[in-house]
Formats: sequence, C-alpha cells, structure tokens
Amino acid sequence: MANFILRKAEPRDVPDILRLIKELAKFEEMEEQVVLTETELLQDGFGEQPFYHCIMAEVPEDRRSSDGHTVVGFAMYYFTYDPWIGKMLYLEDFYVMKEYRGYGIGTEIFRTLSETAVKSRCSGMHFIVAEWNKPSIDFYKRRGASDLSHEEGWRLFEIDKEYLLKMSAK
Amino acid sequence: MDYTIRVATLEDCKDIYRMIMVSRCGDRRVAQGGTCSVCARRTHGHSELAKHEKVSDQVKIAQRDLEQDGFSKNPFFQSIIAEVPEQHRSKDGHSKVGYALYFFAYSSWKGRSVYMEDLYVMPEYRGKGIGKALMSKIAQLGLAAGCNQLNFAVLNWNKESMDFYLSQGCWDVTTGLDYHCMRCEGPALEALARGDPKN
Repeated sequence: MANFILRKAEPRDVPDILRLIKELAKFEEMEEQVVLTETELLQDGFGEQPFYHCIMAEVPEDRRSSDGHTVVGFAMYYFTYDPWIGKMLYLEDFYVMKEYRGYGIGTEIFRTLSETAVKSRCSGMHFIVAEWNKPSIDFYKRRGASDLSHEEGWRLFEIDKEYLLKMSAK
Repeated sequence: MDYTIRVATLEDCKDIYRMIMVSRCGDRRVAQGGTCSVCARRTHGHSELAKHEKVSDQVKIAQRDLEQDGFSKNPFFQSIIAEVPEQHRSKDGHSKVGYALYFFAYSSWKGRSVYMEDLYVMPEYRGKGIGKALMSKIAQLGLAAGCNQLNFAVLNWNKESMDFYLSQGCWDVTTGLDYHCMRCEGPALEALARGDPKN
C-alpha cells in the first residue's frame, strides 16, 4: 500500500485534524490535556492570519480505515524566529495512524516539511520529542536532527494562563 | 530608576541588533560575573564585540534581516523595548537598555500560545525590575491576543534565571515531561528536503 497523497489542509479537514491531535495525545498519555475545539482550530488555522499550517496524508477510498477515515496522518507546523539565524519552521505535531505506518507516509511528510522550510528560506526545523520515545528519536536522528537539550542543555519552560494573568497584572 | 516598556518600531532595529550581538557573547561567563570566554572582557556593552570572530561567525543575520522579518506585512516576530530617560543613558549613550523578542505559536492541545525567544537587559540596568516588566508586557500582549500559555527555553546551568522563572509560577517542561528540544538545520535540512537516503 504505497498509495497516498499529501496535501495542504483545508477548512473541511478540521474534524480530522482534531481527531488526529487527540490520537497523538493519547499515544503520549496526555489525552485529557487537549482542550482545543474544532471552532478554535477553524478560526486559528483558516482566518486572516493563521497561527498554524497543516499537511494532511490521505489514502484512496478503497483503503479507508476500519472506522471509515481516508485522512490517516498529518503534521502541524508554524514559523518561528531565532535572532541569530533567522526564520525557523517549528513542527508542533506529526502523526500517522498505526495501521498506516511502515509505508513511507511519515518519511514523505517529513521530507515535504523540510522542503517547505528550505523554500521559505528557513535556517532550520525544530521540534520537541519525549525522551522515552526512542522510535521517534531514532527517526529524527537518522535524518540529521540533533538533540539540543542533551548537547546544549536547553530546558523548555511553560507558564500557564493563571500565572500569565498574575504576571500581566503586576 | 524611571523606565518605559513599549512596542518596538523599525527605528529600534539598530538597538535590538546591538543588544542581540552583545547578549550572545560568552553567556556562560557573563552570568557568573567572570571573564567572557569569547572576547576576554569582563564588562559588556561595546559594539566592537560584534566584530569578534567567534560571535560574528554564529550570528547569520544582519540588521536589515531583522527589519524585513520583524516589520513587514507578515512579521515573523514581535519585539518590545525598555527605554530610560536621557539623564540615565548608558556610558556609551544608549537609552534603549533592554528588549524582548517573541512570536505567536500554537499548541495542538491548548491553542494559541506565545513563545518568548529573547529577554535581555544591559548589565548596568539589572536589578531594577526591567526584566520582570518586559516579561509582564509579553504576558499582557499574549493574553490580549487570546493566548493560553507562554513558553521559552532556559539553559540548564542558568540557575539564577531558572529560580526566577520558577518563582513566577513557571514549570520546567523538559524535566516535568521528559521533553527534549531537537533541531534539523543546514546541510541536514537540505539533504532531507532532497530526500537523500538515510544513514
């Protein structure tokens, strides 16, 4: 089954985008953390100034999944900025449904992303990976990615809304 | 000391660029109050540092890139400036003494978020609440734009900064969730785009 296409996401893909976000979060054992809604995804991805972009992987009708889906994988990304080297592409989510793995879909999505990065004159592509996710780390390292947390000691920090409100009031 | 925090304009790029170059020089040693391992100076704030081979090797962008990328129709980043009045200008005559550079990002779990890429205050202006005020402004602007979280990265040896952030209610995603920051750039990125066979 090498038959699949990759295409840019359209507004009609929003339900599949949310479905796949939740499937990936489930894999990371974080399903209850997904509070994003289809309405927000629609506004944020397809409004005047999109906050994100998506690539969708689709198989033909005769290869539908057991639950009847033809959209079987996706990548969500956006552009960021490094004051030393300029524009970067940040890969937020990258997922292929289990039954469709091993057919080169992930490889082709990743290649398309890097092509997008190069065409948009980005200096690099970056993303985060969980330390325990060895198959993904191997996938990325085989393709030339370096682990900045390990090599340079970077730690990612986060401030949630509650503290943002406190900080902005000071 | 009096200071103002405001949104940066195109005219501020010269100072933002100056501070980007200085803030990158020998980060480790500056934080510990020692001698810079890159330029062997104890104090910073001199634009000559930018000419130092090691620093200028690593900074690939020019002032005009900042101008294009931050101040055209579709900006790739936003920035804010901390400014002091005339009477408090630095020894070199600068009144723009701190900056923060940020952009809007997206969490597939929570939606709109803001990423703080750079936060810097010139050494002689530290300890006056300017850093905190810059971060507070980003929080305000982020919330106004509908963001639910603020993310940023800190180097693991920078204990002073980590302690400050933790005291403000931040949490360490890397140790908390075992997340690692990864990057693919330069020749590896180009090879990937071409679809070269994997190692």
